[in-house]
Amino acid sequence: MTRRLHPDPAVAAAFLLSLICSPAFGLAAASPAPPEPPADVRAARAALAAGEHARALKAYERAVRAAPGELRWSAEYRQAAIAAEAYDRSIALFEELVDDHPGSAAVRLNLGYAFVDKIPSAGAVTQVILADRALGHFSKAIELEPSWLALYTRGNSYVFWPAIFGRTRKGIADLERAVELEPKESPAPFHAHAWIALGDAHWRLGDLDAARAIWRRGLDRFPDNPALEERLGREGEALDRLLDEHYAIGKRVDTSLEELWER
Amino acid sequence: MPSIDPCRPAALGALLAVAGLLAVVRPSTAADGEAPPSARSRAPWFEEVTAAAGVARPHRNRSFDNPYAHIMEGYTALGASAAVADFDGDGRDDLFVTDSAADGRNRLYRNRGDLTFEDVAEAAGVAAGNDAKNASANALWLDYDGDGRRDLYVVRFGQSLLYRNLGDGTFRDVTAAAGLTARLNSIVAVAFDYDRDGDLDLFVGNYFPPVDLFDPATPRFFPESFETAANGGGLTLWRNRGDGTFEDATRAAGLAGHTGWTLDLGHADADGDGDDDLYVAADFGTDRYFVNDGDGTFTDATESAIGIDTKKGMNADWGDFDGDGRFDVYVTNITDEYMREGNFLWRNDGDGTFTDVAQETGTWDTGWGWGGKFFDYDNDGWLDLYVVNGWVSAGDENYVLDIFELIVRPDVDLADARNWPPMGEKTLSGYQRSKLFHNLGGSLFRDEAARHGVDSILDGRGVAVADFDDDGRLDLFVANANAPPHLWRNVSPAAHWVELVLEGRRSNRDAIGAVVRLTAGGRERASFVNGGNGFAGQSSRRVHFGLGGETTIERLEVRWPSGGRQVFEGLAADEIYRLVEGGRPELQTRGAGAADGDEETAGHGSGLERGPGDEGDLGARSRSAVTPPRG
Repeated sequence: MTRRLHPDPAVAAAFLLSLICSPAFGLAAASPAPPEPPADVRAARAALAAGEHARALKAYERAVRAAPGELRWSAEYRQAAIAAEAYDRSIALFEELVDDHPGSAAVRLNLGYAFVDKIPSAGAVTQVILADRALGHFSKAIELEPSWLALYTRGNSYVFWPAIFGRTRKGIADLERAVELEPKESPAPFHAHAWIALGDAHWRLGDLDAARAIWRRGLDRFPDNPALEERLGREGEALDRLLDEHYAIGKRVDTSLEELWER
Repeated sequence: MPSIDPCRPAALGALLAVAGLLAVVRPSTAADGEAPPSARSRAPWFEEVTAAAGVARPHRNRSFDNPYAHIMEGYTALGASAAVADFDGDGRDDLFVTDSAADGRNRLYRNRGDLTFEDVAEAAGVAAGNDAKNASANALWLDYDGDGRRDLYVVRFGQSLLYRNLGDGTFRDVTAAAGLTARLNSIVAVAFDYDRDGDLDLFVGNYFPPVDLFDPATPRFFPESFETAANGGGLTLWRNRGDGTFEDATRAAGLAGHTGWTLDLGHADADGDGDDDLYVAADFGTDRYFVNDGDGTFTDATESAIGIDTKKGMNADWGDFDGDGRFDVYVTNITDEYMREGNFLWRNDGDGTFTDVAQETGTWDTGWGWGGKFFDYDNDGWLDLYVVNGWVSAGDENYVLDIFELIVRPDVDLADARNWPPMGEKTLSGYQRSKLFHNLGGSLFRDEAARHGVDSILDGRGVAVADFDDDGRLDLFVANANAPPHLWRNVSPAAHWVELVLEGRRSNRDAIGAVVRLTAGGRERASFVNGGNGFAGQSSRRVHFGLGGETTIERLEVRWPSGGRQVFEGLAADEIYRLVEGGRPELQTRGAGAADGDEETAGHGSGLERGPGDEGDLGARSRSAVTPPRG
């Protein structure tokens, strides 16, 4: 069974391709109530708690195959695969699911995330190949369903690419579309990520004025957002250092999607 | 330039160390009658003398006339190199510099003693390093026959050459007689006595596989992978038989397992067991670390010592940067906007493993790095680093986009040269500024290249360090690809120093591998006689120590490659000493060499400490405490 992404951006999941590095960062807004975990997920969690990664992965794989469009179990599976350094296994599973469910945007996103998950384990050149493949699957997800999540995911991925590759403006276009999809009233806190990444994209292009304007608009909509405050509070080399570190090639980024279901 | 966070304990320690260091240096330099440091420090400490010295002839890359010419010229933008040695025995360091163009002539610059040089390559018979089937790529001086004269090995894409120094200012091509005619497409060579039989063996790093690069029979001679390529030329160990010939001992020595794209080799006694170990810097794949087992074989200890990397190793220079008495390794990789590999500064942990401290020491990012050399440019007793960089500096278009298209192409056969996009006039990691990392006390470096005028944007390849004017300050010669070189004279403020020219008797004549431990001001420093470490640049084999404000060397211990040890006490600073194995230190008259009559004994020398079974009178007096040599 293929479950489509929820069409309402207000309940769309947030993909944190940027790190959640501050303990102050958290979701206060309402997220959809998490579904009751099926037995396989419960078994996988128990296995993980017992340190039995192989058993956990098998149980998660049963759960993901049973509900390939369910982002939460897929995300949990990928995190378990990261812990077990089973990157190729994760990629293989989602490639299989893409073949079986070619119309599922969620499966495409997961395959892209699986490639992203492998990046820190790879050499510098393979990282480029993995990131490029991830982008291909994110693009396919947008074709299938241009949701806030898919647009944010691909847009943010573009921002990770050094400007020399000419992809930053594509990222800006995606992120501007994502911002437009954000609900006018009561956006969820995770929607701030599109504003952050959009400003970062302008910083990447060297247009600091545009970056600050975006970050300020974002802060107006998401008061007290620590990432936006931090960017606006830094100047010159300190800002560059922050963002260079944030977008360091090869750094593990959080693809856990936890903000989707955390309250 | 790395930033210093004064709140970080490590940085605080470094700052305190610097403060302590200055406290040592300042009183002495003031006592020498020099201008106050504050006044002197504003001027650059290096001045370019390339043209005035007569060494400004540019290097030229090789062009190709074959189906792969579209990529070969850019891909082989190598071959600019420099090798230092006193080839004529006059006590001054001379310079051999390569060209790579088909009609290019190599240069042998004889040091006249006034920081000018004359090119005597034609008269000496060593100018012809390039032809239709060979391109000069590097050079190495070594006294392979132990006659006290440095011979010359010209490393080439194609077949390398060995020239025997005849002692009358001329050389004879003995390549064939020595058994070195194999076509290896080499890029680097170092020499050391791995089996401690008293002669120098030749370690040759090969880049391409052994095809005819100028008329390849196959298009598949490029690296099969950007990260794990194992189809390069590997390395070749030519064991010196001691009769003027060499034999291929690669397999017997356990070195045949490395089949990567070697760019540099570096040797040092990393584990302190009396024989030299080997670091292999490999492009497109894993660097290798081979431990010398002391029985004529090596063990590949890569995984346990440094781990498996997928980077683009281009330099391997050994030095004790942190003053703990153990030799560390500096390896350059590619660090640019599009690829952030970062260099390695492998700190020797003393237990057979190394820890990469490039990030925390500020030596991680040197762009597309090439040659990097440890040297103490300010004579403060800490090894600094000079690193050159840049691949091809050409037009406005960037070749990285073409490479990107290549690497993301599904199932592309990278080994096939036809798949590589033409480079044309495009730039790849070009116009990068060289780095002069000042060592701030063993845990942090600060880039001072701009301040001292050595932040060249030419495409640097090799760095050769030598005290060309015998003033105790180390000068820099930089070989640049397709461009003129740089000769920078060191004019740093006065601080004390000592230089040692070692000569083996039971050990190999050039004493390559001898370890010297010097104590001055209560602090011990370690160095060794190296046989050509560092990419495309062989530095002087003199051992140089900066002494800061210290005018007396309390203790100097030499551990010879033979295993014997000598200790000298009370040597005065600011001199060049000749140390003959088993003899007493002799002053080497500046610029006049070590010829008879130019010497006088100095200090309180000791005889050789010899091991059981050692025979013969090698020194003035022997000590009762004996350290047995290995092997």
